[in-house]
Amino acid sequence: MKLLKPTWVNHNGKPIFSVDIHPDGTKFATGGQGQDSGKVVIWNMSPVLQEDDEKDENIPKMLCQMDNHLACVNCVRWSNSGMYLASGGDDKLIMVWKRATYIGPSTVFGSSGKLANVEQWRCVSILRSHSGDVMDVAWSPHDAWLASCSVDNTVVIWNAVKFPEILATLRGHSGLVKGLTWDPVGKYIASQADDRSLKVWRTLDWQLETSITKPFDECGGTTHVLRLSWSPDGHYLVSAHAMNNSGPTAQIIEREGWKTNMDFVGHRKAVTVVKFNPKIFKKKQKNGSSAKPSCPYCCCAVGSKDRSLSVWLTCLKRPLVVIHELFDKSIMDISWTLNGLGILVCSMDGSVAFLDFSQDELGDPLSDEEKSRIHQSTYGKSLAIMTEAQLSTAVIENPEMLKYQRRQQQQQMDQKSVSSRETGSATSMAGVVNGESLEDIRKNLLKKQVETRTADGRRRITPLCIAQLDTGDFSTAFFNSIPLSGSLAGTMLSSHSSSQLLPVDSNTPNSFGPSKPSTEPVATASTRPVGDSVSKDSVNATSTPAASSPAVLTTPSKIEPMKAFDSRFTERSKATPGAPALTSATAASVERLKEQNLVKELRPRDLLDSSSDSDEKIHVTKSSSLSKRKLELEVETVEKKKKGRPRKDSRLMSVSLSVQSPAALTTEKDAVCLSVPAPTLKLPIPGPQRAFTLQVSSDPSMYIEVENEVMTVGGVKLSRLKCNREGKEWETVLTSRILTAAGSCDVICVACEKRMLSVFSACGRRLLPPILLPSPISTLHCTGSYVMALTAAATLSVWDVHRQMVVVKEESLHSILAGSDMTVSQILLTQHGIPVMNLSDGKAYCFSPSLSTWNLVSDKQDSLAQCADFRSSLPPQDAMLCSGPLAIVQGRASTSGRQAARLFSVPHVVQQETTLAFLENQVAAALTLQSSHEYRHWLLLYARYLVNEGSTEEGAAKRTAASHWTEPSLPAPLHRVSGTA
Amino acid sequence: MAKVSVLNVAVLENPSPFHSPFRFEISFECSEALADDLQWKIIYVGSAESEEFDQVLDSVLVGPVPAGRHMFVFQADAPNPALIPESDAVGVTVVLLTCTYLGQEFLRVGYYVNNEYPDPELRENPPPKPDFSQLQRNILASSPRVTRFHISWDGPPEPQGSPEPALGCAAAAKGLGLPGYVPGLLAENSMDCL
Repeated sequence: MKLLKPTWVNHNGKPIFSVDIHPDGTKFATGGQGQDSGKVVIWNMSPVLQEDDEKDENIPKMLCQMDNHLACVNCVRWSNSGMYLASGGDDKLIMVWKRATYIGPSTVFGSSGKLANVEQWRCVSILRSHSGDVMDVAWSPHDAWLASCSVDNTVVIWNAVKFPEILATLRGHSGLVKGLTWDPVGKYIASQADDRSLKVWRTLDWQLETSITKPFDECGGTTHVLRLSWSPDGHYLVSAHAMNNSGPTAQIIEREGWKTNMDFVGHRKAVTVVKFNPKIFKKKQKNGSSAKPSCPYCCCAVGSKDRSLSVWLTCLKRPLVVIHELFDKSIMDISWTLNGLGILVCSMDGSVAFLDFSQDELGDPLSDEEKSRIHQSTYGKSLAIMTEAQLSTAVIENPEMLKYQRRQQQQQMDQKSVSSRETGSATSMAGVVNGESLEDIRKNLLKKQVETRTADGRRRITPLCIAQLDTGDFSTAFFNSIPLSGSLAGTMLSSHSSSQLLPVDSNTPNSFGPSKPSTEPVATASTRPVGDSVSKDSVNATSTPAASSPAVLTTPSKIEPMKAFDSRFTERSKATPGAPALTSATAASVERLKEQNLVKELRPRDLLDSSSDSDEKIHVTKSSSLSKRKLELEVETVEKKKKGRPRKDSRLMSVSLSVQSPAALTTEKDAVCLSVPAPTLKLPIPGPQRAFTLQVSSDPSMYIEVENEVMTVGGVKLSRLKCNREGKEWETVLTSRILTAAGSCDVICVACEKRMLSVFSACGRRLLPPILLPSPISTLHCTGSYVMALTAAATLSVWDVHRQMVVVKEESLHSILAGSDMTVSQILLTQHGIPVMNLSDGKAYCFSPSLSTWNLVSDKQDSLAQCADFRSSLPPQDAMLCSGPLAIVQGRASTSGRQAARLFSVPHVVQQETTLAFLENQVAAALTLQSSHEYRHWLLLYARYLVNEGSTEEGAAKRTAASHWTEPSLPAPLHRVSGTA
Repeated sequence: MAKVSVLNVAVLENPSPFHSPFRFEISFECSEALADDLQWKIIYVGSAESEEFDQVLDSVLVGPVPAGRHMFVFQADAPNPALIPESDAVGVTVVLLTCTYLGQEFLRVGYYVNNEYPDPELRENPPPKPDFSQLQRNILASSPRVTRFHISWDGPPEPQGSPEPALGCAAAAKGLGLPGYVPGLLAENSMDCL
């Protein structure tokens, strides 16, 4: 074992509360106290691992630092994918960081060049929910969830795919929650708190699985953190600070029955952090000795307030190694490298230690497959233990897996679309906003910017928005600090010209979905840095003639006044009181006015003070006022603290209240689910009947009988579905009441309560597991192997159950039902699975699956139909014998043309035109309905009419040529038909 | 976390005659929409000796500010020469650009400014009474001094603010609060000294 203390890893002497190594092992993050804020720093790992790299000036040590947290950062954790970093701090916030990969090193505006951040990490989400300091955060296996715990006694589960959505708030602790760990299989999450309990929560329903208190009875709430850990094989959960016989221990809790029989003993003070090695090990096989298969074991590091670290192997009774006095103060956090051989430890004293083990010391790590096999043999298949490669091919055994797969696919699709759009716009990405180049904007900015006067006569400028920014959107990663120095600007330019601006991350679980088309303009707009750096250059260029000025500035005679200026740069002007004034935001403008008056009043006094005195005097007065301010602040916070006390009790009460309500909550949720998809339209829902019978077809004679709640088995009421087909009967039972049924010669389908749709073959075999409809069923229809479901929310779906394909997918009827109180009067499903809706206003629409459009196929009020007269062209024998979907929807009276012709005397030419138009409509409608019979009928009529009316050669040719186009699914005679024309 | 971060300040028309207006092209990024306007101010320091000679050249409100990147040009008239001590007219001074939100200053950008006679003749033999019409102002745009202050972006804390039942404990536990503020901690803390 090698031990190293890289002194360059520090927060300028401030405590480091957390450390975490990136999954790829190339970097690590530390979190802690900054100058006057919280601080997160990302460090390069290679200078820790290799001495050469440490000495190499060209290899950066610090990659990025973020001081966005307002107060001390208590925890930093990389997501398992390594894409994100989550940090939680005393400012009650959790920030999620993502690297902006497309942009090169840059500085923050105004900071000196050497502090340049080598990598750019941008805060992509700020998670606000906790009302107290966030103590620990933890990503679930596979990064589906992020958990955070706080001194507000709660644990919050965030949807890591859709920040900042909260999935659950786990209440139950009655003390500060100071540590979290996920079960490696993703079934549980455990939390340890100052309330002398360790609680295990189920991820299935986010309810408490167990609360373990006994080993913690003697504990005082004195540790800063209680970072517990779950073993990689899932068998053991090891707590932080526990007591056994008045000695501090780390309690081992067995997963089986949550037994607490073992513990790690030996530390002299409370255990602050326990961290399992991510690897499972087996004994190193020595060359000589015959392979006696040894039991796999785990490795665990324990850090304590006694400033020592111990490393344990679960196969040994004694620790593998104990390092005493590793630090000057308590150990705060531990992180293992992914290969399991390295360990980083951080301490309150602001330093970090690195331990490097060899395989001889720890053993042979099991491969991921072996580890996965152990998981599978112990827990069965579960999402968390599947590796990516396995998952895509695995049989889906639980809904979570399905969800995961879907998500993956969705992501891929999104990426494809994004990248395609990206490549499309890449060439034109040259600093253009709304078609105007940034240079142009900048030239005219002063002229164009909107300036108004406020009521109190002050100037108000409306800034020009050059890039929109959806907060919480991952596109924020596009934005970055703009480099200041000329050379950096140059590199920026070159990097731009090589079009590095494209977002590089390929597997971002981002929300670039179709709902956010605005991200594109954002992306384009983010080329702004080009413009900026250009201008920067130009500014620099213009200032070169006066390049002597820096020299002037450094002349000794001028140094003194500059020193005097120094304070001016950094101290807040008195014009704006630094301490948050006790003004409310709403009355701000009024208050601001007052303030200014106040300032005017204040100022002369200040001047009096300083006018006669030297610069120093000012400092004195300033500092005294400052310290006074500080004092006030402190008093304020103390007051706040005091106020906070009694409130704790009221919180407790609310906890006990909320515990009772989950059942009510879930039902409410269901109700919400039901009502959401139907914002305006609501189709009638069939009520449950005791029993009903339905004739499916007469030839062969087939009918189905439904009896609801016909029997009770073990408290569950069952409903019976019976089908009789030419005397042959089959029956089945369903667990919920059947609302409606439909059938054809091929399939029988029934819609039950709870939005379930079941489909059976004509012989009674269940064809599909129940389909969950988006909303309750309104109408159900079957034709052939097609099943059509119209839901109460006015969405229509058609499936081909034999080919297991969707024909129409949740198509909304909004477009055809919109605007009036129309209802669907008749529904039809053609043999080809095309749905036809006859509406109460006499119009009929069919939905064309190939075009995804609603097509008007019939209109009772159609004046064309009333004026058209083609009787002369009707073949005598099959005058009205043509039947088909078109005939059904249009009704038999569609040849009212003759009457119409009698009623209105229309010029012949007009009638000819209308008749032709009508016939063409009919041909097209028949074609769309894929009704070959009717198509033939109407095409023939059309052709005859053309011939009879003696239209010109060209006209006929044109029209018949058009009809040469035939639908492949239609039968051959058509060709002959068009030939006869 | 600061909701507004300044991305860049470009000093336009620099160097320029003393009497020409100041022009700063400011671009900033706002992480979420602001309820109130930002207030920007240009302060010209007349003399290093005393704040007495500070001149607020202008102040503007900037808003509304939705989330996103924005830019504007802040133009302000040149300082009043009458208010500048004669001894400080020529030489180095400072111009400050400050930004406040809800009356709290969160950003201060300072630039050194050098006022000198471009004419070598005048430079050699400066007139006893400074001739402002001949002075040239040169802002050292390449090295701004940026100071950021933490402020409360949600407005001044309300008296009935969010409950912080255990803030005291946590802060004390980290050694940030007053030592021994929580009586229960005393014992363990003292053990650290052993």
